[in-house]
Amino acid sequence: MFIQTTRRRLVIGGAALTATALALTGCGRSTEDSPESAPKATTSIGEGPATGDLTVWAMGTEGENLPKLTAAFEQANPGVKVKVTPIPWDAAHSKFTTAITAQTLPDAAMVGTTWMGEFADLGALDPTPSGIDTSGFFEGANETTKVGDTSYGVPWYVETRLVYYRKDLAAKAGITTPPADWDGLKAMAKAMKEKAGAKYGINLQPGGTGSWQTVMPFAWSAGASITGDDQKEFTFDTPEMQEGLKYYQSFFTDKLAGTDLPPNQTEAQFVSGEVPMFISGPWMAGSVAKLGGDKIKPNIGVFQLPKNKTATSFVGGSNFVVFKNSKNKDSAWKLVKWLSDAKTQAQWFKLSTDLPAVKSAWEDPSIASDPLLPVFGKQLEDAKAPPAIVNWEQVATAFDAEVEKMAKAGQSPADTAKAIQTKAAAIGTGS
Amino acid sequence: MRRTWWVYVIAVLGLVAVAAPFLWMFLGSFKTQGELLRVPPTWLPEAPTTQNYDDLFAKANFPRYFLNSTIVALAVTAGNLIFCSMVGYALAKLNFHGRTALFVLVLGTLMVPGVVTFVPLFVLVTNAGLANTYPGLILPFLVSPFGVFLMRQFFQGLPDDLMDAGRVDGSSELGIFARIMLPLTRPALATLGILTFLGSWNNFLWPLVVAQTEEKYTLPVALALYSTGQNAQNFGLLMAGAVVVVVPVLVIFLAFQRHVTKGIAITGIK
Repeated sequence: MFIQTTRRRLVIGGAALTATALALTGCGRSTEDSPESAPKATTSIGEGPATGDLTVWAMGTEGENLPKLTAAFEQANPGVKVKVTPIPWDAAHSKFTTAITAQTLPDAAMVGTTWMGEFADLGALDPTPSGIDTSGFFEGANETTKVGDTSYGVPWYVETRLVYYRKDLAAKAGITTPPADWDGLKAMAKAMKEKAGAKYGINLQPGGTGSWQTVMPFAWSAGASITGDDQKEFTFDTPEMQEGLKYYQSFFTDKLAGTDLPPNQTEAQFVSGEVPMFISGPWMAGSVAKLGGDKIKPNIGVFQLPKNKTATSFVGGSNFVVFKNSKNKDSAWKLVKWLSDAKTQAQWFKLSTDLPAVKSAWEDPSIASDPLLPVFGKQLEDAKAPPAIVNWEQVATAFDAEVEKMAKAGQSPADTAKAIQTKAAAIGTGS
Repeated sequence: MRRTWWVYVIAVLGLVAVAAPFLWMFLGSFKTQGELLRVPPTWLPEAPTTQNYDDLFAKANFPRYFLNSTIVALAVTAGNLIFCSMVGYALAKLNFHGRTALFVLVLGTLMVPGVVTFVPLFVLVTNAGLANTYPGLILPFLVSPFGVFLMRQFFQGLPDDLMDAGRVDGSSELGIFARIMLPLTRPALATLGILTFLGSWNNFLWPLVVAQTEEKYTLPVALALYSTGQNAQNFGLLMAGAVVVVVPVLVIFLAFQRHVTKGIAITGIK
């Protein structure tokens, strides 16, 4: 969770940087460069194999591993050459926004799900053509490609958040089956603290960067939503949102979660048993095992988020898009279509350990036989992402700041919801 | 001697404060990820491993990035030393119409944050067809307003008598600049050289944006690429990479630093 925090901060910094620069250059842009006069959107994918040169950007390890996968695409389409450029996560957002301004974009790219609204608003993305079947994707992941009513690109890989717990300590605390509802989770955290010798029952981020990813699932489960259906108005100040916030705060007021823990030590505190539960994504199983060694592996357990009205989690990951100005759009979409094929997705999991966005790929034995992964697959059936609104990163920052006041300084859930709503309304959805 | 012992105490404390993070980085590059994240932290690696360095050099085209960084940093440094001293000299010592206005203009560009000019500059470089080329990485930084300012101030402190003497002895104007005045600015040149090299060597955002393929990445870009994932960071690799990146900077500093002190000792006219 901590790493994400650092990265997100950098991404936001970069966003602010390019936003300023974009605002300053925006007025000087000539009409020829404007997105409206770009080539027309692709509506369907042509028959026959892909041809020509394709340039693709992908971030971090995905960018490192993708060439191994595209080699197979080149074999199937002898006329095509795919050139993958790996981009560091740290400043990927800046690189994209700068490239959009200067029109130096590749043909296709992997993009973060929270950037979709902004890039679509800048007119950079090509709408998904009809030849791509979107019914096989997880619903929550597919939603992240939609901006307004239009879909841009496909979900490529996904991640979602589960509750991690120490199996051995849970047994000591007398918990034999993982809890399924809100009261159960609370009781479990309490038992961990009182009977299993933990300092705190569960590790929850007391506000600060990225904490919305842990708070919003509870609010969603209580029935809250970030915006109205038309995505024009924020709806943070609702009884449902307050209920979610209240539940989150209660862990801190009941001393089941701490505000005084050193940050970035989630794995270490889990391994030591100091804080034997936390909520995070699939990568944490690896991080915990790396720190705790073989000893800890059989004791890592996960279960789905507990239920209130629903049991909704957060869905993240990355999408794959084609850019409007690409000169080889038809072939670019063929690549995207091939990437979202169930077989390719399963192969990609083996190369990268990224979880497939296509449901049927989860039947591959490499995933189905894993002790933890199928639980993520089940949670993905009920997982949400914030709507693709242009100003989301700014709203998230305001949200995180208010949650911090609530967790650390005891600001009431009602005041918190109101403050988030006021701040968010002032920022606006950007549409 | 008795009066100055506390100066040493303060100096040593300062040294420790500055050196400790580097020492931590150096030692950390030989630790495993598990040991790096452990609380309480350890100073000396328990089981020293060169795994991080092996990964670093095996993983990627590291010599290539090193070469790119070196080419760019050396070219930018050379450009700054040549052009900033020329412009600075002209603004300080040559009389021509509009000299003050020109100097104010140079100062003015110092006031504009680089963030603001970043995207326009990139659009300019792209339209000139220089995206993904060495000139694209080098040209925009060949002369800096700060360098011009630094050199102008230094030239201003040198007496005009030296130039007059040169003229009397029949030297050309270029000869006066290159053979008499420039050698006297060695400390300023050394300072400018160190600062420019550091700035170019550490530059991250510009090379990231201009380089469209991996072959043109510089060290900081490559380091960010391989050490930072979406949800996980390889701290060991980062430390090892940082050690490799820092060594040339130390070498450059030691090479120039001699001139800084020496320059101070011999400046000017008696």
